[in-house]
Amino acid sequence: MDIKCYIQSSAAISPQQSFTGDYIPQLLPLTERNLMRAVEPAYTGFIPPNSLRRMSRLLKMGLTSALQCLRNCNSAVPGAIITGTGRGSLQDTEKFLHDIRTYEETALNPTPFIQSTYNSVNGLIALQQQCTDYNNTFVHRGFSFEHALLDSILQIQEGVAESVLTGGFDEMTVEHHYIKSRIGYWKTELTQPADMLGSDTQGTIAGEGSVFFLIGTAPSAVELKGMQMLYKPTPEQLTASLSQFLTQQGVAPEEIDLLVSGRNGDTRFDHYYDVAEKVLPSSVEKIHFKQYCGEYDTAGAFGMWTATQELLSGRHKTALLYNNFYGEQHTFVLLQGSKS
Amino acid sequence: MAERVLITGMGMISAIGNNVEENFRSLRAQRSGIGYSQYVDTIHRDVLPVGEVKCSTAELAEMAGITDATGFTRTTLLGLIAMQEALLSAGIRDAAETPTAFINASTVGGMCDTEKIYFDILDPEKEGTFLQLIDALDCADCTQRIADHTGLTAYVTTISTACSSSANALMYGARLIRAGLVQRAVCGGTEALTRFTINGFNSLKNIDKRHCMPFDNDRNGLNLGEGAAYLVLESESFAQRRKARPMAELSGWCNTNEAFHPTSPSPEGDGAFEAMRKAIAMSGRTLEDVQYINVHGTATLNNDVSEGRALERLFGDNVPSFSSTKPFTGHTLAAAGAIEAIFSVLSINRQMIWPNLNFNARMEELRISPETRLLEESPVLNVVSNSFGFGGNNASLVISKYGY
Repeated sequence: MDIKCYIQSSAAISPQQSFTGDYIPQLLPLTERNLMRAVEPAYTGFIPPNSLRRMSRLLKMGLTSALQCLRNCNSAVPGAIITGTGRGSLQDTEKFLHDIRTYEETALNPTPFIQSTYNSVNGLIALQQQCTDYNNTFVHRGFSFEHALLDSILQIQEGVAESVLTGGFDEMTVEHHYIKSRIGYWKTELTQPADMLGSDTQGTIAGEGSVFFLIGTAPSAVELKGMQMLYKPTPEQLTASLSQFLTQQGVAPEEIDLLVSGRNGDTRFDHYYDVAEKVLPSSVEKIHFKQYCGEYDTAGAFGMWTATQELLSGRHKTALLYNNFYGEQHTFVLLQGSKS
Repeated sequence: MAERVLITGMGMISAIGNNVEENFRSLRAQRSGIGYSQYVDTIHRDVLPVGEVKCSTAELAEMAGITDATGFTRTTLLGLIAMQEALLSAGIRDAAETPTAFINASTVGGMCDTEKIYFDILDPEKEGTFLQLIDALDCADCTQRIADHTGLTAYVTTISTACSSSANALMYGARLIRAGLVQRAVCGGTEALTRFTINGFNSLKNIDKRHCMPFDNDRNGLNLGEGAAYLVLESESFAQRRKARPMAELSGWCNTNEAFHPTSPSPEGDGAFEAMRKAIAMSGRTLEDVQYINVHGTATLNNDVSEGRALERLFGDNVPSFSSTKPFTGHTLAAAGAIEAIFSVLSINRQMIWPNLNFNARMEELRISPETRLLEESPVLNVVSNSFGFGGNNASLVISKYGY
């Protein structure tokens, strides 16, 4: 990259106590189903009460985490707002589908329809912060947040924006959890996050969350060095691409001291993580972030947030994030810390 | 100076034709595709006119050459038909030969088919092949099926910014090319009519029971439509090396957000004004260089005031010929930006300006009115194509005759 990109701030709503206080990831106990629910923060102070009543859960989580991210770096108006969401507001989509049936297509309330639109969170952030610049939303499973990130890097490289608010958010409803269980997305037996990686079964544990970053040109403690996406690669292509990616970035595999890995205990896709790990020295420390946030389309954003926290702590210097979503969309992100 | 981005291929399907040439003939014959739906199961079927593609889903599968269409939604099939034509017209036999990005756009993905079986999916007692449609509940499904079928795998993603989605897809693809990440990107969108969307816009009281009347004082809303369109974008140097035939240049673009209201544009059209102004500035052209504006022109009360005021403010007393082609196709949402980008290329290459159908009386808020005649042998070098959407999303593209 010609112009260096830095992570100037971040904010994360997740199943963890990530929104406030010091981040200490916990393996959460699950009792009912294989789903890690996001811990919603208090929304007062972020959203006016009359808006709050109308807004559905994902809109509240998305808007609040975006606003907190801006507050964390005392920024008000970013140069662009670019997000990813695999499912948008599922609650609203479901409500409108049910309403159409219940009320037989008559006298429908338009609010769920409006809020089900995938770019509604982006529109709200722009409206609340009066940001009239570039605004885009990617809706492509494990390439939702990731293309938002690439688009953000491009905005900065083009010299159009000095800072970009970049986020990824998804929710999981009980209804959608059931739907996806019918095609093998989740483990069939109740599995604890502590056991998900070693369970030796197919499927994984669902999750949700909303994570935002302010990415900009002003130097900060974490540099976003580069990223690469691969669509449905073979294991051989994955190995070759990772080696090539590190070479392009001018980083030897030995220099990477942290692998933030999207391994989720689904035996159908574990082999990709095995392949990627082989490119790195065996001594590299690994964090399997989906034990803490569960699996969802934009979980990669939580992975990048985890890597950022680790670099900010000074425990690590160079972090590689590798994630894939059900073996189809694969992404590497390289981050470097300046704290030691 | 960044490299030029050329349009070297295009393909489409809409209510006025199953390919580009058929669409052109309908535009020239001033033949609208609006009528009552044959294929959407809704109580509004005989009340709210739509721009429906005149083929059943089974017929679309046959056109796309898909023998086992299990899991292929109408959205996917529309997209595949447009994609096959786009690649063919660009002279691309094997799309996998050159790393190519596929930037798709969709507002509700496979909803057209999933809404029919949604409550069966929720019923644990029911089993069957319909479960294969579960993945089509999102917007990525159609994109990946088209990508896998055609070998476009370098960058694969889907954009959803409501009615500006495919204009943003074209911009993003052009920027990937300019950044040197790929030399070719196929960009556009696909949209099928759904009960979900018809009820959504109807609940917003945004649909006219008559054929839509953009920029008319008596207008009362839009007609929804369906279709798909893709444009092949290539860097100038790559296109020259492979001796591709440039159809036009994508010379300017801009995406702005109005930050005014979740579903309504500002009365003075601030977002539209900025999007057009910046896109023209980027193209290196002046306001006087623009001969035609393919407006968003949905015929909703708000859009046409806002967009009309933006035109008056930007161009003053010299507003170029402008028209909305939505009375031909209906508002095809995520596909609209790409469909109208193709109409813009046709305008340049055939030297014609498309008429704004159903116009009778000028809006009392405006001094300007749209072009209602088909203009032939009308020199068109630069076209501005507008797409505006929910969430305050505004996108303008400038499409220029190549070499000027």
